[in-house]
Amino acid sequence: MSRRRFWSIRPASAGEATDAVVANLLLHWFPARMRTTSLAWTPSFWLGSVAAVLFVLLLISGLPLMVFYIPSTREAYQSIKDIEHVMSFGWWVRAAHRIAAHLMIIVVSLHLARVFLTGAYRNAGRREQHREWNWVIGVAMLMGTVLLSFTGYLLPWDQLAFWAVTVSMNIVASMPLAGPAVRDMLIGGREVGQTALMRFYLLHIVVVPIAMAVLFAYHMWRVRKDGGLARGDAADDAPEVLAAIPAAVRRVAVVTLGVWLLVTVLAIMIPSPLLEAANPQATPNPAKAPWYFLWLQEIVTDTTVRIGSVVINGAFLGGVVLPAGLLALLTLWPWLDRSPAATVGVTLPRERRAQVLVFVAIAVVIIALTAVGLLRGPSWHFYWPWQEWAAAPSRF
Amino acid sequence: MNPEARTRRSVLSTLAAAAGLAGLAAQSGILVRSCVPNVNYDKPSTVKVGLPESFADGLTFLPEHRLFIVRDSKVFRAVSAVCTHLGCTVHADIQQVSDATGSDTRPHSQVQQFACPCHGSRYRADGTNLSGPAPRPLAAYRLWLSPDDGRLVVDMMDEVDRRFVLTLP
Repeated sequence: MSRRRFWSIRPASAGEATDAVVANLLLHWFPARMRTTSLAWTPSFWLGSVAAVLFVLLLISGLPLMVFYIPSTREAYQSIKDIEHVMSFGWWVRAAHRIAAHLMIIVVSLHLARVFLTGAYRNAGRREQHREWNWVIGVAMLMGTVLLSFTGYLLPWDQLAFWAVTVSMNIVASMPLAGPAVRDMLIGGREVGQTALMRFYLLHIVVVPIAMAVLFAYHMWRVRKDGGLARGDAADDAPEVLAAIPAAVRRVAVVTLGVWLLVTVLAIMIPSPLLEAANPQATPNPAKAPWYFLWLQEIVTDTTVRIGSVVINGAFLGGVVLPAGLLALLTLWPWLDRSPAATVGVTLPRERRAQVLVFVAIAVVIIALTAVGLLRGPSWHFYWPWQEWAAAPSRF
Repeated sequence: MNPEARTRRSVLSTLAAAAGLAGLAAQSGILVRSCVPNVNYDKPSTVKVGLPESFADGLTFLPEHRLFIVRDSKVFRAVSAVCTHLGCTVHADIQQVSDATGSDTRPHSQVQQFACPCHGSRYRADGTNLSGPAPRPLAAYRLWLSPDDGRLVVDMMDEVDRRFVLTLP
């Protein structure tokens, strides 16, 4: 009986393995055969799959949170307290959701770095390939991941949430001409309040997840159309292939179980923070962004420039112009890369040394600015990790 | 399009497609516009902050309005506590002046600076930006005495020159 029910994931012959792709809805995700280079643990480290598993875990862990969360400025904070202290296993579900989100930012960034360093956003095959467009989809999904994290940490409506919305909406409003209108549209008024919370809640639970799911499906479809993991033309002549079932199924299972286990254990070990309830009357001192935004916070701190009598607010230069420029550079890079096709899929080839240096330099600057941001203490002074923070200056 | 190939059918198809696209564009516009609120529930920007004599000389912070009232006997100013960089609330740093000569006989011997906790901007006591990313001085608002009950009124939409003061008789 069980043999007949599960034959598709445990095929007895090459013929059964091929049929399985057609017979089983879940398995038709895979091609019938995959190259051993695509299945290998390196150089991809399966980071894209890890990110996908994290996304699914986030969707699942988000559902119980939605049962108890109330998107109201009066009740949001208390409902998070209830999730943390009253709801059965609520602390663990919330921690899993939070840890998976943090991991997703890290893993998606590493996935981008891997694709860049192996030049995998370029085409080398003989068939019609559009890997450069899949890179653009990937960049959009990185933005989606960041937007999901941002809208997510606003929902508790604690001090971190309120001041993060205030600061980010002022960055938006600092854009000339359209800025204030876009800000009003995002928060539904001029003051950060109930309408802002409702809009960010909808972005978090409906708009961005659906956009991410659609982009993810298209991303995976393109990977398959483009012939799996990118590699040089030479490898195309006599590719070594395996039946995807069970080879790919086993690896996906290992990745899924591994990520699931990691999130489960980390969620037990690392409690989720919650600051004081949002207080529009007092900004906490210091008011620090989450770790993945510290480099941006540091940039807006340092980029107010004075040319003669003209002052350009760091909010616009560091908050809009620089990140937008970086994003444009990232998006357009596949068309700027003119290295030979033989380097596609090759890790750190000699011909791309200059490109790799630019990428590493930008990454080092971002990491360095993050480190600087970590050292900021009250009144934005620097403190070493072992130094005690001065008592916040008396207001009066 | 080749004029010979223009049949009644092709013209009607083109018109139908154009009408469809126009409808789609109009309805997309309607959906976007529908998300812009037509009623504003923000707090009013003109507020009565209290009787003039209820403010002590020097600086008073009104957290609910994110506003400082500066009083120097009969002279009043209203200074915003909203940082001009990215809108966090600045706090006043009170520093004691160690003036050994005692030549400073002004009523308050403290030098106040305003500091922003979000990105480290600092302002002088008069609200001008001193250091950090703040691009402009703290905003000063128009204030006057309410004719009905003599309380100070501040309009936080009406930004005035920093030198604007209300002098009571």
